[in-house]
This record gives sequence, C-alpha cells and structure tokens, in this order.
Amino acid sequence: MSAQEKHRLVVCSAEELREGDRRLIELDGVEIGLLRAEGTCYAFRNSCPHQGVPMLYGSVVGTMLPSQPQEYVYGLHNEIIRCPLHGWEFSLKTGKAMFSPAVSIKMYEVKEEGDEVVLYLDRQPQSITRKQFACVL
Amino acid sequence: MTTRVKHNGLIDCDVHPVLSDFNELVPYLDESIQQYMNIGKFAKGALAKQNSGSFKFPSSAYANPLPVPLRADAFPPNGDIPGSDPAFLASDLLDRCQTDFAILNIGHGTMSAFHNVEVAAKYTSAANDWLYGKWVKSDPRYRMTMEITPLDPAQAVQEIERIGKRPEIVGINMHCVNIPLGKRHYWPIYEIAEAYDLPIVLHPDTEGTGEYAASFGVGPASTYMEWHTSLGLIGQRNVISLVCEGVFERFPNLKVNFIEYGFSWIAPTMWRMDKNWKALRHEVPWVKMLPSEYIRRNIRFGTQPIEEPARPKDLVELIQMIGAEHMLLFCSDYPHWDGDELERAFLHFPGELRHKVFYENPLASFRIQP
Ligand code: FES
Repeated sequence: MSAQEKHRLVVCSAEELREGDRRLIELDGVEIGLLRAEGTCYAFRNSCPHQGVPMLYGSVVGTMLPSQPQEYVYGLHNEIIRCPLHGWEFSLKTGKAMFSPAVSIKMYEVKEEGDEVVLYLDRQPQSITRKQFACVL
Repeated sequence: MTTRVKHNGLIDCDVHPVLSDFNELVPYLDESIQQYMNIGKFAKGALAKQNSGSFKFPSSAYANPLPVPLRADAFPPNGDIPGSDPAFLASDLLDRCQTDFAILNIGHGTMSAFHNVEVAAKYTSAANDWLYGKWVKSDPRYRMTMEITPLDPAQAVQEIERIGKRPEIVGINMHCVNIPLGKRHYWPIYEIAEAYDLPIVLHPDTEGTGEYAASFGVGPASTYMEWHTSLGLIGQRNVISLVCEGVFERFPNLKVNFIEYGFSWIAPTMWRMDKNWKALRHEVPWVKMLPSEYIRRNIRFGTQPIEEPARPKDLVELIQMIGAEHMLLFCSDYPHWDGDELERAFLHFPGELRHKVFYENPLASFRIQP
C-alpha cells in the first residue's frame, strides 16, 4: 500500500516533538510511541516483543557493530532503541533486533510534513487517544 | 567378563596410563630436572620424608576416601598399580570391550599448575616421550593426547611443533590453570592446534593441585565429594569464557573436548548464554551467532562420569532436547574409580545415538586416522 492509499493521521505539531521528545498515542487499543532522534521522527509499537514492556521508555543509543574478536567498533549512533527492561537492541530504521532479523518491533510510517508530525496507517482507527507520557530520558 | 552391548566400532576417549614410579622418566629427562625432582641418581632417600626436604609432585589436595581409589579389578598380575602395564591394559580393557582405539590421557602427567614453569615444561616433554615410547608403540590400538604447558604458550607451541605431527597423537591435553580458556594468552596454542587439526582436550588434573590451579568459583571444597562434584563448574566457566572471548570466531575449526567435567549442565548454560547474549551482545560484538550455536559447533563432551538421573531416559531426552547427539564422546576413564562400563551406562541410549557416541563423534573430534 503506498502512502497515498494509507490513512493520514496528524499526531502532533513538529514543535511538540522536538529532539529527544517522546509522545504516546493509542489507536484502537494499540499504543504507538513516537520520538525524535538526530532530527528524524520514529514511530513504533509500544510493546517489546520479548516480555511486552513499553518500548517508549527505552534509551536511544548507538552500539558495537559485529566485529573481529577482541575489537570494538562503535556505530549506528542514536539509531538503536534499547528495551527498558532487558536491553534488547532494535534498529529504529528497520525495527529489527540487532541479534536476529527474525525478531523485531513493528515500526510505523511517520513523516514530518510542514509543521505536522503525520502517521500513515493501514486503516483508519476508530478510537484515538493522545496519552500523557513522561520519562526521565 | 564378556561384552553384551553390540557395537559397530568403539573409540574410548579417556584411558589413563600411569607411571609406576617417577624414575621411569629418567631416560627421557634432562639431568637438571632429575636433580630438581630428586630422582635417578639424585634421590634424597630419608630426606624425602622431611617437610620441604625434597621435591614434591603437585598432587591433589583432595584424597579419594575409597579403600582402593582405582578399579580394584584392574591390578595387573605383577601387582603394580592399575594402568601401569600396557599389555595388561590392552587385554583387560581393549580386548574385553573390542575397542578399536583407546586415547591415552596420561594420569598424573601434568605439572601444569606448578609454580616453576621451566621444570613443568621439561617434565611435560619427558612425560610425552615416555607415553609415546612405552605405551603408544606397544599396541596399534593406542593413541595419545600430548601434554603442554598452558602457563607458557610459546613453549607449548614449540612442544606441539616437536611432536604434534606424529599420527599417533590425536589431541592436545592442555589442563586447566587459573586463566580462563578464552583468554588471548592461549591463542597461539589455538592457532597451531587448528592448523594441525588437533583438538584441545581439557581433563581434570590440576584442579586443587599446583599454585596456579583454577579456583572452584567460591572457595576451597572440604571433601573429595565436594571437589569431584564441583568439577562441572570449572567446565562451565571455561565454556562461557571460550564463547564470550570470541575464540570460535577467530578459530572456527578449533575443537575443544571437555573430558570428565560432566555434560548435562551444558543445557542450562546454553539457555542462559543465549538469553544474556540477546541483551548484552554489544559487549561481545564479535559473538555473531547464538552462543549455543558455537557450543554445538566447536565443543564436545566426554560421557564419563555419566550423570544418572532417577529416570535414566531423562538423560537421553535432555541430549535430544538440546541437539547434543553429535557432541558426546565415549569415555571409560579406565582404571579410575568413577569409570563407566560400556554395557550398562548406555543401556537407555537408542542404537543410533550409541553408535555416534561410541564411534562417529570421537572419530570426528580427534585427529584419528583409522
Ligand atoms: S522485555 Fe524487552 S527485552 Fe525483555
């Protein structure tokens, strides 16, 4: 389905999702977390595939890339979100876990259009709740 | 005794020949070390009974409490200790079990954890030459692992270069010191082991002996029972170290055979390592697959002393559960007290699994040319 055929939902203004900010929205009972890192907006299902804790509390980090034994190579700066419970790493670009492409968080299409942060959804949600969210990160 | 279990080939991966007396080493040992060890013409006689009056071999601090701490049915006719007579061992064990090959891991052959590394190195070379000369050459079914000095990798590499290409040598018996097996310290040894297609064998011997002995995780055991049961912890610790340090990424064809540390503990070790790696992989970014995949690919386990759950089939189910059918190596541990008898220990193993354990797995895990 192309972006044109998808349902367009304005989540908030760009001003309301500045660098490091986080927002939480619930669509038909499913929580979606949004955040901005290094200028880019990301949206993802707010539930870790492991034991279900809310991903929106996760740290946005870089990580050590697969490397030769006994050698550390840092990369993917602020492209990884780490689950707030056990720390599984997921790519914010693809949703895939660093340890296996078979494990992932669901990512949603999100765009910054003018002054609006817009989610593109497969279908129109029946209920939309913008929720209060605060974390120390 | 006759064999009741039918088999289509048997490789016994752990048989122990012993020296009757350290003087057996005299023909193979430099005079300087004979003098250090007070053997041959340097015997100290009565002074040997003095505290610090003469050399003491680093024997175990944990004495086996049984009346006869070796198989009491394995004394050779000359009355010497079990495991000291190559011809008798060949008939008592190999003929009886129809063993194709027996891998000799020298008993008390090691001074790996001894404080004087140069003495240990010379002793180790002499022990290798004694084992090769007296035992391996005596029967075509004998193969041997060679000892090395793990505290001195450069010397260990030299020793492997000296004798490691001999076809009768099928593995490197490294022994455990207080440096975990994954550390870079050992990598020169792993490099040549992989190049020579020789597995590293780890077998208890130094635990609780020399000054460089590995600890038991918490502190000293009080009894032999406590010591013996805790050996699995040392195996476990070393498996964890090998995988986490990236040894099997760097040396993908290296095999490490843990003999006599038990094996059922590998199931929870795999589960726990896999779980931790999913969260902590960035600390060991060179570990690129699930830890259990490296363990299955590169690590093997001797069967003896086989674990004996109340319901024997539980053990078979555990092996199937973790896909370890290709990882187990038959070991009798003859003539030690805790050995396993072929016809009884594997009664509950399905035939196909038994054949793997008895023959195929050892053949694939040691450098044996049938
Ligand atoms: S709940 Fe997210 S990693 Fe365990």
